[in-house]
Amino acid sequence: MKRHALTVYALLVVGYLMLPIAVVILFSFNKPAGRFNYVWEEFTLDNWVHWNSILGIQDAIITSLEVGLLATLVATVLGTLIAIAIVRHQFVGRGTTNVLVFLPMSTPEIVLGASLLTLFLNTTAIFQLGFGTIFIAHVMFIVSFIVVTVKARLIGFDRHLEEAALDLGANEVTTFRKITLPLIAPAMLAAALLGFALSIDDFVITYFNAGATQTFPVFVWGIARVSVPPQVNVVASAIFLVAIALALGNVFWQYRSAKKTQGAT
Amino acid sequence: MNPRLTRQQLLRRGAAGATLLSLPSLLAACGGGGGGGDAGGGELKDVLNFSNWELYIDTAQTRKAAGLTGPTTLEQFTTESKIKVNYYEDVISNSEYFATVQGRLRQGQGVDRDIIVSTDNDRFLGEYLTNGWALKLDKDLIPNITNLIDAQASPPFDPNREYTLPWFSGMDGIAWNEELTGPITTVTQLLEDPKLNGKVGVWNSMGDTLGLVMLENGDDPAKVTDESFDRALAVIQKAQDAGQIRRFYGNDYAQPLATGDLAASMAWSGDILNLGDPKVKWGIAEKGGIIWTDNMLIPLGGSVPTASTYMNFVYDPTIAAQLSLGANYISSTKGVKDEASKLNPDASANTLAFPTDEMLSQMHQNDPAMFSNPDYEKRWLAVQGK
Amino acid sequence: MGSFFHRHKGVTPYLLLAPGILWLAIFFLIPLAFLGYQSLQSGLFPDFQFTWEFSNFSNAIRDYHEQFARSFVYAGIATIACLVLAYPLVYWIAFRAGPWRNLFLLFIVAPFFVTYLVRTLAWLNILADEGPVVGVLRDLHVLGPDGRLLATTFAVVSGITYNFFPFMALPIYVSLEQIDPRLLEAAKDLYASSTQAFLRVTLPLSAPGIVAGTLLTFIPAAGDFINAALLGTPSQAMIGNVIQAKFLESLDYPSAASLSFLLMGSILVALLIYARIVGSERLTG
Repeated sequence: MKRHALTVYALLVVGYLMLPIAVVILFSFNKPAGRFNYVWEEFTLDNWVHWNSILGIQDAIITSLEVGLLATLVATVLGTLIAIAIVRHQFVGRGTTNVLVFLPMSTPEIVLGASLLTLFLNTTAIFQLGFGTIFIAHVMFIVSFIVVTVKARLIGFDRHLEEAALDLGANEVTTFRKITLPLIAPAMLAAALLGFALSIDDFVITYFNAGATQTFPVFVWGIARVSVPPQVNVVASAIFLVAIALALGNVFWQYRSAKKTQGAT
Repeated sequence: MNPRLTRQQLLRRGAAGATLLSLPSLLAACGGGGGGGDAGGGELKDVLNFSNWELYIDTAQTRKAAGLTGPTTLEQFTTESKIKVNYYEDVISNSEYFATVQGRLRQGQGVDRDIIVSTDNDRFLGEYLTNGWALKLDKDLIPNITNLIDAQASPPFDPNREYTLPWFSGMDGIAWNEELTGPITTVTQLLEDPKLNGKVGVWNSMGDTLGLVMLENGDDPAKVTDESFDRALAVIQKAQDAGQIRRFYGNDYAQPLATGDLAASMAWSGDILNLGDPKVKWGIAEKGGIIWTDNMLIPLGGSVPTASTYMNFVYDPTIAAQLSLGANYISSTKGVKDEASKLNPDASANTLAFPTDEMLSQMHQNDPAMFSNPDYEKRWLAVQGK
Repeated sequence: MGSFFHRHKGVTPYLLLAPGILWLAIFFLIPLAFLGYQSLQSGLFPDFQFTWEFSNFSNAIRDYHEQFARSFVYAGIATIACLVLAYPLVYWIAFRAGPWRNLFLLFIVAPFFVTYLVRTLAWLNILADEGPVVGVLRDLHVLGPDGRLLATTFAVVSGITYNFFPFMALPIYVSLEQIDPRLLEAAKDLYASSTQAFLRVTLPLSAPGIVAGTLLTFIPAAGDFINAALLGTPSQAMIGNVIQAKFLESLDYPSAASLSFLLMGSILVALLIYARIVGSERLTG
């Protein structure tokens, strides 16, 4: 009985999490009567076919993807290096480093966004608001999440492997390439995915530092003032469905490799 | 390094309209923003970037509703001038639009726009002009400027119309959802009727909202005193404390009016007609309304010849008539009503686009001094909980 | 290069740290300094002067203590609501979902991929006054005939809860996943009652996840302004709304900067208190 109660509760919470998403996806197939997409009228695929018929939506989503990929890449490298230093090395300033990495996560987005804006506005000769400043901001707030994720994995791994490699005469770079990197690669991938998700979803920090450039969330904020066209639902649904597909692919791949290792033993 | 000094130097350069000789910048490598860059803008381009409010131009759909045939005015412009228009409906509020572009303007940078609009009963139109962030129109390219109505020829913020030209004017009134309430004809009813509690919208723009309240109070919105401001603010504060007001809206009140989240709201004239929902009605409050004008201007970095060419195009009365009919807002072009009647004999019945003299006699203007008073602004935010 | 590292072992960690830490220093610490500089300025846009204007801070507290208090209360309630909703779910996923684990984990992260604003606007539709949810609640007399969900404290707190839910759920899941099932079996052998096993083994072992989740939820929630702006009324305005308005509506940068500092400062104070209670190692890991 108790077991079932827990299952029911869990499924109810999942339902709650999925409800708005279901509404978003449903209304991406709606053919609204006027400019407002809130009453179900009739089913159509037009919005999906002509998803970019709203001026600015395509540029916005491209900007979002570009910023997301670039910022995630840079942040993953920077964050992984910090994580390795913290976990694998003893050095003066380790505590301070920990705090510095932790601080951006403990600062509300609005403060991060606002403080960066004051920097950019006060150093106008160097920084012009736009793609570059969005990129800088995203790397800054993603890095800490990367460090934390990679660090958690590194702590769990046996460092004797690395020591053994060093004892056997491999230099540090080789050891890193042959031992450490393969060990933490899954964690880096997970961290990168988290970073990409955070980047593509970010509104507040971007909103402060975007200037005239629009990412998808900034575009939505603007267009939502009067009406949200179904094309916005299409893009949001598409991002969601791609993410689901990637994750399902990952689940499948893990399942396959698990089977393979079973077969090998 | 003294950042303050740097910024001021930049400001001065920007104001002088000189090209910003920026240091080799880190961001150039990142491709920061594209376009823009220069503070000048002498060349005619084949693309015009135009930022405007939503629902503020004729579209295929609205032309049909207004009984117009043929291509939209934007398409006509492109055919005539070979200039393509990127028409962005990204002005979501005067303040937020200003806030998003001011960083680049302060840097003397362009904002990738050739024309933007800003409303005269708000603080920000003045900010663009006094900070030197608007470029002078090329009047040689705007012979149609002679069609500008006399009432708009010399506004206080731009006495010789050197930097700005009206896009549309509109009227402040009250809208209500017929399924939820009877007609709302006074501001007092809107702000005090207990049946509307929690289902009333007002604007977040001080001039519009307090303007209507001042009229209701018997005060002159064109000549605001500390006393009349206090009186008007107290009315809003009281309604806010009573839970009467649901939210302070930008131009996002139309959908909640239609869904029934709002029973009634202060509303701009054309928005309700554009909503196209027969159960939502609009009227002028008994004590009168406020009339305001959105002005086109060329921000730093914009192409003056391209923008001026477009402005000349819209001051052709035939085009102005189509714009007005398609957007249901008021044109400042002479002879626009006659042209509209030629296009559609019933057109003059559209009193939102072509208000009657009686309607216009009920209209008042805001006091520009009200918008530059930081104390008023602070208290206006405070009443909104901010 | 390898020999270089061997000879200068002490340098290696600093070389690894340098790029990332520099980035954080330039784009996190220096901006904070600029914010501090701005917070002590006076004057009107765009001509502010640095005048050691400490009154910006006292004025901010005088004028906006209510919004500060509200932000912390809302964030606190939302954090607890997240915990109550998330813990049983991730517990079920970790111990009962079997092969479906990853799929259900995906459901937790899913809202992230439907842009923040879009999902909040979806709630606006779901909870509309004349919408289905309110209709049912009115029929059931949970709400009065004029009752509503939107434009209430409930709507704002619910919105915050929904939007920051994954930040609570994921860390707890990670800590639960690491628990060795043999420990639970042993506990059951010893204590016999599954409730006791949960209280004495599972709960303490998942504590780091709860601590991390609480922080990751509470901090952004306290600074949020989207939910109050879209789902609330002025009576629900949070400190984030004030900061946003000062920065982007009234262009009052000094006030906005001092409010930002106070928000950050009060969160750090709350963190220090929290660290005292749970132990500081758990906070920074």
